[in-house]
Amino acid sequence: MTRDLWKHLILIFGALIVIAPFYMMISYSFKSPGEIDRGEGGFFGRQEMMVDERCVKLRDPDRDDVATAAPRFPNQTDRQIRDALVAEAVADCQMRPIVFNYTKAFTEAPLLRYLLNGVIVTASIFLIQIVVALPAAYALAKLKFWGREAVFSIVLFCLLIPVHAIALPLYIMLAKVGLTNTYAALVVPWTISVFGIFLMRQFFMTVPDDLIDAARMDGMGELAIVWRVMLPTAIPALLAFAIFSVVAHWNDYFWPRIVVTGNRDLFTPPLGLREFKGDGDGSFFGPMMATATVIVTPLIVAFLVAQRRFIEGITLSGMK
Amino acid sequence: MDIDETHTPNVVYAETAQHRTAWWLTAPALCLMILILLVPVVIAGILSFTDYSLGNDTFNWVGAKNYDRLFSSSTYEKMFIATFTYVVTVVPLSVGLGLGAALLINSMGRIGDIYKTIYFLPVMATLLAMAIAWEFMLHPSIGMVNRTLEMSCGTVLEFIPFLKNGCAERFPLWLGDRDYAIWVICFIGVWQGFGFNMVLYLAGLTSVHRELYHAAEMDGAKSAWEGFRLVTWPALGPTTVFVVTISCIRAFQVFDTIEAFWPQGGGPNKSTYVMMFAIFEKGIQQNLIGIGSAITVLFLVFVMFLTLIQRWLVERKVHY
Repeated sequence: MTRDLWKHLILIFGALIVIAPFYMMISYSFKSPGEIDRGEGGFFGRQEMMVDERCVKLRDPDRDDVATAAPRFPNQTDRQIRDALVAEAVADCQMRPIVFNYTKAFTEAPLLRYLLNGVIVTASIFLIQIVVALPAAYALAKLKFWGREAVFSIVLFCLLIPVHAIALPLYIMLAKVGLTNTYAALVVPWTISVFGIFLMRQFFMTVPDDLIDAARMDGMGELAIVWRVMLPTAIPALLAFAIFSVVAHWNDYFWPRIVVTGNRDLFTPPLGLREFKGDGDGSFFGPMMATATVIVTPLIVAFLVAQRRFIEGITLSGMK
Repeated sequence: MDIDETHTPNVVYAETAQHRTAWWLTAPALCLMILILLVPVVIAGILSFTDYSLGNDTFNWVGAKNYDRLFSSSTYEKMFIATFTYVVTVVPLSVGLGLGAALLINSMGRIGDIYKTIYFLPVMATLLAMAIAWEFMLHPSIGMVNRTLEMSCGTVLEFIPFLKNGCAERFPLWLGDRDYAIWVICFIGVWQGFGFNMVLYLAGLTSVHRELYHAAEMDGAKSAWEGFRLVTWPALGPTTVFVVTISCIRAFQVFDTIEAFWPQGGGPNKSTYVMMFAIFEKGIQQNLIGIGSAITVLFLVFVMFLTLIQRWLVERKVHY
């Protein structure tokens, strides 16, 4: 038991360091700017009502506002009406820091749009990867044809090339055909997953030939065999690959940073967060951390729900 | 014999048909591999001998001038120093901590799963978001790190020179300090990556047979250390080869944290000017494609060299 105790102590110490930035990110997303500056309020902050200065400024009454409000305040001078209106604005602009941070996260920048872009990009990348890789993997695993060895050695060679490393020539090619700042630019370089081909080939090798022969007897074409026989047998491997692919591209920052410049409509979540940071004047720590929390949460929650699958998927590259 | 003869034309026909389908199935993947992975490598190789920039119609051959500059200018000397410092620090630490965590967790049964989950969180989280969280943690005045350090002031802990100096004057600026910046980047790299290595090692550990430990005990291996040295470490050989390679390749590609902390210029005194950032800055932001391509080529050489060593080790089944 004592031996286990020091093990726990070491592991808990590590866990504290690992969790610290997550703790801080979530905690700041709950707190008011004052609490962040002074470092008070524990984890949740005190959640006292705070006034959104910007909202008050926007509602600053001008001459017309005072005139239209005059009937509501009979027998008062303009000055008094103005003060009353400002007081109303302040009352309306009061909110809890947590509400303030999260509404700002979604209203200051089109965060929903960014999230949607993230979903569109990761989903298209994954689908195209499958459509391209599965038939090739099947042919390499189960069909005999002249040149198979050559194709497979190209696959093995391409495994050596990280796509991030050749970002510059890819960027030049995309710029030459005028595709920068499009969805295509975000997706195209990832459409071919050499790793996916390799992985699915290894998996298909284990599928018995009898299954394929039986399908041929039934008069199925090779393409139909890929989608109706091989695909269903490969669901576990495919799921692992899906997690691998989605995690990598949801979190990717380098490539979107290169091909998307300025056009906010195409921003993926990390780019949106980056822009938020660039705009920040210091008082926006809360909303920025709220944005970060919103971006990180989907994958973390999915991971906590289906841990085993996720660890399998992410460490897939280790199964070679 | 009769049957054979009547069958032969059919078989031949079937084989050519299969042959053709096989090519149709591989063609999309093959084309994309060539277009997206191989052609860019060739383009980078060619452009690295030119002074091309986007928008120009023509370019001049400049021979090896770009490479000369890489090896003579002090900026690129800093680039190599930063990159190698990062790789040489992060790889051993993240592999070592990954192995340590895996051994501890493996020895404690079900309860260890909690630590596994926690340590894996940074692998799933969007690195850019976590980089911004770390930036707040490391904020010189209101960051959690310096606040925690300040708490030690006036206690017995002040006998540590680092804390004593910090309390007497001030604690480090971390990201703004050229002596600390690269180490902070390394720390975040280890923080993010060791959980990944841990799960790979945990997978490796499940394949170590219990009987081997008993056998080692019979042979006189008394301590846990002996058991580790004689059984665990050799059995984990293949895992280690893989973990080290993939950690190296990932470490070479560090970018997100550096771009998030120092959008311009790669840190105080260029102390964190790593290769990926150099490619991004020179090739894409400054449109100096020749020099960017030269860095790309060097980068590819490093990464391919590492992977080839790994494959060679795996093929020889080296258990060191």
